[in-house]
Amino acid sequence: MLKIMIIKATRYRQLFFLALAICSSNLLFAQVDNQEWKQASTSSEAYSKSRRKNTVPPYGLVKVKAMIAGTKSSGGDNDVYFTVMSPKNYQSLSLREKFTYHMIHAEVESQNCDVSAPILDEDLKVFGTLPDAFDEKSWSERQLNFLISNRDSVLALISESVNRSKRVGLNYKIAIEHVNGWEIIPLLIRTYKIDRKDHDILTVLIQLMKKNDYQPFMTSASYVKLYGANSTDRSFIDFNQANEDLILSRAEAFYNGRKK
Amino acid sequence: MAVKNKLLCVLLLYTSGLAARQANPRSDTGFVHIPAGVYWLGGREHQLNPLRKVEIAGFDLAATELTNRLFEKFVLATKYTTDAERFKNAMVFEPGLAEFRWLSDSTAYWRFPNGKSRGGIEAKMDHPVTCISYKDAEAYCKWAKVRLPTFDEWEIASRAGAKTTYFWGEDMEQIGQYANIWHGGDHLKADLSDGYVYTSPVGSFKPNGFGLYDVYGNVFEFCTGVLKTDPKNRKIAHARGGSWWCSNHACGFFNSLDIGRVNPQASFSNQGFRVVKIPVQH
Repeated sequence: MLKIMIIKATRYRQLFFLALAICSSNLLFAQVDNQEWKQASTSSEAYSKSRRKNTVPPYGLVKVKAMIAGTKSSGGDNDVYFTVMSPKNYQSLSLREKFTYHMIHAEVESQNCDVSAPILDEDLKVFGTLPDAFDEKSWSERQLNFLISNRDSVLALISESVNRSKRVGLNYKIAIEHVNGWEIIPLLIRTYKIDRKDHDILTVLIQLMKKNDYQPFMTSASYVKLYGANSTDRSFIDFNQANEDLILSRAEAFYNGRKK
Repeated sequence: MAVKNKLLCVLLLYTSGLAARQANPRSDTGFVHIPAGVYWLGGREHQLNPLRKVEIAGFDLAATELTNRLFEKFVLATKYTTDAERFKNAMVFEPGLAEFRWLSDSTAYWRFPNGKSRGGIEAKMDHPVTCISYKDAEAYCKWAKVRLPTFDEWEIASRAGAKTTYFWGEDMEQIGQYANIWHGGDHLKADLSDGYVYTSPVGSFKPNGFGLYDVYGNVFEFCTGVLKTDPKNRKIAHARGGSWWCSNHACGFFNSLDIGRVNPQASFSNQGFRVVKIPVQH
């Protein structure tokens, strides 16, 4: 009799837990059903577009554009897919014209994942990595080598252009990073402070401190969050007064120490 | 002698560990039926792939990525010339390059996916075909009377019923069981930690719940579809699932959410595809 009662109790307990499990799973699915997609705010979307804008340099622009248009392209279906200036035409350009060519035209293809997508609250973040400047394209080896080989001239041309336009295009930012242009940190800070809206200038400052192994940054919590073991190329720190002040003061201290 | 024995032990442990982690390589001609139904797709915060429910008819998707062996059949039958062979501008990789840097190599095409100096595919016929463009993938599909999956089909198949970033949940640490990716902190040194620097034979890692292999990693898989960010004035190709090159620090697209984009006639050595069977009309 006791044995039968125990078996019945066990069965009821099993039924109870089965019912509980079904209820829980229903609750779980209901929660998933209630989830809604969060669309980025208008300000986030606007910032996403603005941070992907390049600066078009004026040096020989009409001539360079005409030469790009005249370059024989390859590709099917009447689409222009690959346009690489011939070595002869490339060599005929002056240094300033080459600079313009590189800033408006990338010669090789980019990876699938190299083109960053818009994300939520983009305007409220300071990223560790800049987006790609040329959609599905990137600078070729000869273009990257040009920037390094003519580093001082490239930085001078960028400074001249930024002083005039009061903005730093994405292509300029990537070039500054590539050539390790720490000398123009004061210009970057001055330009940033005009309206304090271009947080990617802060990213450039961060990248320059990283590239130069500046210890106060390399040993900071920001470094761990942006470039540490658990970071990704989408890692960010929040844009707020404290982080902004810290980045600017660190970059100034790094510059002052480096220029001595 | 003692050193030699220790080395042998380490080698044995290493190879047995790999064997335990990886499933047996599979046939490259199998298809998996993905049942008709209503599926959750996208992510709550993903701006290009919003969270939504989608109803879809059943379809048959290749269990593995398309192999060099099958692509060779196509080339031999049709004398097809790939875009990489025509334009001589395929993008290749070698360890030592900075993040997101690839090299243009005029010698690279599907038989030498990273250029002639880095070896051919003679011993890799069971690896996914790479260094082919979206246009090349379309040409193969036309010949083989198959098609590329749509964004939704690929995602439904990759999720195998899950609503999470990965088909097993949210824990990225499990990726090594299921996918050939880059585990290094950067791309300056070769990463052999999962046994492969470049592609692996299809089906070398554990499948998802539907029995599909390499949905993440190995090669990016071309899909059909259009994103809201696509330009109006030129065509864009899209691919999903990440690749052997992708690391958590650079790319990280080895998941069911992200969608890549690339020039439709560009060829990369981490770019491939898997196909959907087209039902025979009676």
